[in-house]
Amino acid sequence: MKNKKWLATPYLIWSVAFIIIPLLMIVYYGLTDKEGHFTLSNLAKITTPENLKALGLALLLAFISTVICLILAYPLAMILSQKNVNQSSFIVLIFILPMWMNFLLRTLAWQTLLEKNGVINNILQFLYLPTLDIINTPYAIILGMVYNFLPFMVLPIYNVLIKIDQNVINAARDLGANNMQTFLKITLPLSVPGILSGITMVFVPALTTFVVSDLLGGGKILLIGNVIEQTFKQGNNWNVGSGLSLVLMIFIILSMVFMSKTEKEEGEGDIL
Amino acid sequence: MIKKHAQRIYLALIFILLYAPILTLIALSFNSSKTRAKWGGFTLDWYVSLFQNEDIMNALYTTLIIALLSAVISTILGTMAALGMQGMKKKYRAIFASISNIPMLNAEIVTGISLMLLFITLHMTLGFKTILLSHITFNVPYVILSVTPKLKQTSKSTYEAALDLGASPTYAFFKVTLPDIMPGVLSGFMMAFTMSLDDFIITHFTKGPGIDTLSTKIYTEVRKGIKPEMYALSTLLFVTVLLLLILINTSPQKDELPAKKKTKKRRVGAFLLRRALPAAIVLLFIGGGFYYGSQNASNSEKKVVVYNWGEYLDPEVLTLFEEETGIQVVYEEFETNEIMYPKVQSGAVTYDVVCPSDYMIQRMIENNLLAEIDFDNIPNVKNIGERYFEKSKEFDPENKYSIPYCWGTVGILYNKTMVDEPIDSWSVLWDPKYKDNILMQDSVRDAFGITLKYLGYSLNSTDLDELTEAKNKLIDQKPLVQAYVIDQVRDKMIGNEAAIGVIYSGEAIYTQKENPDLEYVIPKEGSNIWIDSWVIPANAEHKENAEAFINFLCREDIALMNFEYITYSTPNDAARELIEDESIKDSKIAFPDDEDLENCETFHYLGDEADEIYNDLWNKVKSY
Amino acid sequence: MPNKLIDLINISKSYGTQTVLDELNLYIRENEFLTLLGPSGCGKTTTLRIIGGFESPDCGQVIFDGQDITKLPPNKRQLNTVFQKYALFTHMTIAENIAFGLKIKKKSKKYIEDKIKYALKLVNLDGFENRMADSLSGGQQQRIAIARAIVNEPKVLLLDEPLGALDLKLRQDMQYELIRLKNELGITFIYVTHDQEEALTMSDTIVVMNQGYIQQIGTPEDIYNEPENAFVADFIGESNILSGIMIQDKLVNILGVPFPCVDTGFGTNKPVDVVIRPEDIDLVKPEEGTIQGVVTHLIFKGVHYEMEVLAHNHEWLVHSTDMFPVGTKVGIHVDPFDIQIMNKPLSEDEEAVNVEE
Repeated sequence: MKNKKWLATPYLIWSVAFIIIPLLMIVYYGLTDKEGHFTLSNLAKITTPENLKALGLALLLAFISTVICLILAYPLAMILSQKNVNQSSFIVLIFILPMWMNFLLRTLAWQTLLEKNGVINNILQFLYLPTLDIINTPYAIILGMVYNFLPFMVLPIYNVLIKIDQNVINAARDLGANNMQTFLKITLPLSVPGILSGITMVFVPALTTFVVSDLLGGGKILLIGNVIEQTFKQGNNWNVGSGLSLVLMIFIILSMVFMSKTEKEEGEGDIL
Repeated sequence: MIKKHAQRIYLALIFILLYAPILTLIALSFNSSKTRAKWGGFTLDWYVSLFQNEDIMNALYTTLIIALLSAVISTILGTMAALGMQGMKKKYRAIFASISNIPMLNAEIVTGISLMLLFITLHMTLGFKTILLSHITFNVPYVILSVTPKLKQTSKSTYEAALDLGASPTYAFFKVTLPDIMPGVLSGFMMAFTMSLDDFIITHFTKGPGIDTLSTKIYTEVRKGIKPEMYALSTLLFVTVLLLLILINTSPQKDELPAKKKTKKRRVGAFLLRRALPAAIVLLFIGGGFYYGSQNASNSEKKVVVYNWGEYLDPEVLTLFEEETGIQVVYEEFETNEIMYPKVQSGAVTYDVVCPSDYMIQRMIENNLLAEIDFDNIPNVKNIGERYFEKSKEFDPENKYSIPYCWGTVGILYNKTMVDEPIDSWSVLWDPKYKDNILMQDSVRDAFGITLKYLGYSLNSTDLDELTEAKNKLIDQKPLVQAYVIDQVRDKMIGNEAAIGVIYSGEAIYTQKENPDLEYVIPKEGSNIWIDSWVIPANAEHKENAEAFINFLCREDIALMNFEYITYSTPNDAARELIEDESIKDSKIAFPDDEDLENCETFHYLGDEADEIYNDLWNKVKSY
Repeated sequence: MPNKLIDLINISKSYGTQTVLDELNLYIRENEFLTLLGPSGCGKTTTLRIIGGFESPDCGQVIFDGQDITKLPPNKRQLNTVFQKYALFTHMTIAENIAFGLKIKKKSKKYIEDKIKYALKLVNLDGFENRMADSLSGGQQQRIAIARAIVNEPKVLLLDEPLGALDLKLRQDMQYELIRLKNELGITFIYVTHDQEEALTMSDTIVVMNQGYIQQIGTPEDIYNEPENAFVADFIGESNILSGIMIQDKLVNILGVPFPCVDTGFGTNKPVDVVIRPEDIDLVKPEEGTIQGVVTHLIFKGVHYEMEVLAHNHEWLVHSTDMFPVGTKVGIHVDPFDIQIMNKPLSEDEEAVNVEE
């Protein structure tokens, strides 16, 4: 099958036109002022207290959501991977099915559920339990992020887990490892690639979202995504917006480099 | 055993987490009350009116067409790219792969922004084309991702065997390689379709006027309260896909039956159920999409592009206008003046008629963004009360650029059962008693205007000390505020979510209808009196159509229709005369006396520099 | 005779409606090399997994060294398994793989190091400690899998088609290696394979299984020379299986011709199955043979010629070092002790056991 390199040409052109050039434009706008002169002041805008706070909060919330997603998703993926194929493919589809209900509506529905006089609090009151007052707080945003991004954590972990040869698990049991030891020494290390890709797939959108914070934060909580969105859409300041996007990209790249590094270290990890 | 039960319970809990919102939405689709805050009884009305709501149907079919086209194109591009990558040297392949990964790993907001910058720089009109291009761009990587592993599994030798048996490379590809990688191609296609369907952020940045996907439509509606038809539509979509999945998923089990046990009849039945029916449903949706799409594309010259506030016009009026004049209306909505302004200014989209507020009109005039209106083309202007033109002079000194459409005040809406003292002052917004029971307006000028008034300053202050004082006051207030919202004040107040909310007078009338405990007051310190007027941007392409449109809206019967639909005060005196309900005709909320308005001011445009100061200070408040 | 080490009593196992094992009874002696042999789906691997503890039987007992271990999880059993596709831990080095079981048992570092060295030497892979598992060839991985199992000093080593993925030459080498290992270690091997040659080469005892039933237990010689039924005869080596009628003791009618044999006790005029191994047929001059036929096919196979002879409407398979060209008229002669008489299956149950590959 030689000489089919040319098949990639259309997409090569496409990716230059719609991936590379647009990114360069962000770099260009990010590094110039309104008159087109070179400046670093757009990047420096990140250091204003409000922007730093928005970035810090975004990092914190994204981190917490990612951890919660991981804690929820791992057992789930394990349970699913142990089911037989037919059943599990059905269950996986059930996970994808919610995606057909628009994601804004799904998130918005949490408002109805979480509000002071919302569904959940009505149920709690009916049961004489203390009510849950988390709407318009960071907790509601975390809930929204976990809810929206959980499938992105479950699927990669599930995909890795079903590929683990059952005999490898049996081998560990055979060699004297109990359930816990088998999990810690075999299943967990072997699923690291899935965990890492899950973390990336949750952390990046959680870090940059403006929708979830908008819908569930009551407009009181500004994340870096909201700042950028407002700068473009309301402030109409492309230069500052691009500058902030550049900073965000640096964070994304940093987290990815970190991931790939830990992945290597895990791979060569000294288990003896 | 215990382990099994624990697993079941865990699965059940996750399911509840995932499906609670979906069940809520389904329930809301049967709620006869228009606001999501109240259960008004069971109804199927929304399912009926859904199919009459052209906006939503158009958004649906735009969404489906874009999803389908982008999925098809990106499947072809992506499959070709995956094949091509196989033939590349390792080094180039790695570079190529990491480039194609960018849209998948990068933040959606950055991808969306970068594409928007590109399109605007290239002077492409933001619209269907740009959305499609963007969707293809972020879809291809998913196709490559699902095709490549299949290609790796496929052995080269089958392809070579086909060549050896005399097949041409093309024939061999279509007859041998393609069937082999088909599962990967199909799952890539499905993934692309789903991702496109569910995308909001990238569409948000790359869409233009008059075009909405379901996501952007919903995002616009969020400010105002989602139209119940949207819940009905989502429920329908969800149930359709659920049925499709059940049909497709039950099939493999039936196939396991020994062939001889299956009668021919049964096999035909199974085929119809599992293959033909899903295919028919999909075709129906897509076919409908093209039908609507083609309807939309017609009549491109006789049209008028309208840019209005959300829920600020009776849709019936548009239909009437189109019927009477034959001019097609392209209708788009904005949420705040600040969102509207850059869109008009950038010129990426050419609107014919826009409905900004007073101070923004002043800014647009000063920046030469508006065209003078030819009043000869608008005879119905006589219906508009003289005092409104008088007021308009504050921002349009010669009454050359604007024709008043709605007006009103900003005041406090409170729940009589939740407050204990008579409310007549802004000070209640700073009363710790109402912690977490206050809804504040999420817009710079309103928030600062209220605070400045409360402090005894002009709401057009540009004095840095006064503004800083106001900023500190707002920061003091922040812990007391339940949420910063725009139009959602309405739903939340109706649902008894808060005791006090800052609201536009026009919304107050509607909320009182839904919840009689609510009362509206213009605080004694004074407030903002505002006028939203129709203007024509300087770069409008259909100025005469725009004037015909404004004239139509000034007709008394039409103005009355709009007043009854949106409940905002109308400056159309002739229309006011036609109001039958005396209590509304003489309502103090809708038509306050001059002494109520004594301390009220309109907003002025304060200049770019002052704007930046306001924005800066507001950001400090919001991120505090 | 050494003691019974493992005793399987009335083991049954089914998945859904499919019965995999039906009241299986089998014992394994100490220091025995026992092979479970049969076509895929015969229940041999399930039997092994039940011994290993990876499956629990629906009913029946597994007795190990006098104790009932039916409900004991695999990590508590004193036996180790070598898996079909090696099942090495790919995220660990060779040394870590081998050390896995010992570390669980909390052995000292020194002890573990010594054991790794010893085990690698035993499988002829000294110096591989720090390689990653997936950088090795199939044969090497297999040795590591064995090393990983035997450092735990199990009383029994279970091997599940361990050589299945290797090529012919390597497989033969590994067969000798396994025999050597077993002799050096002096432990019991339970070996699962579908390859009859492998079974014949290595085993002390062969258990032939089909469709969840044991067909025959015996030494390799017993199994080969005196198959108890047509299935065993057909599965082990090549053979001519013919229908015959036992005229009386020591005389059987095959294709209408009486052949003298050595079997007794089948009664008179009783239908039987007759097995004759192709190498046991002597081709002689037509007049010297018991029956006459014509050579129809001839293939050179290296150590011998393979021929087909059409005689009395039956294609006889013959292996011989003498060559008879196609078309030659020949006589067929079989020594009486080379004719193996078997009862025909009676019930439908036994029918199921019949030749079906």
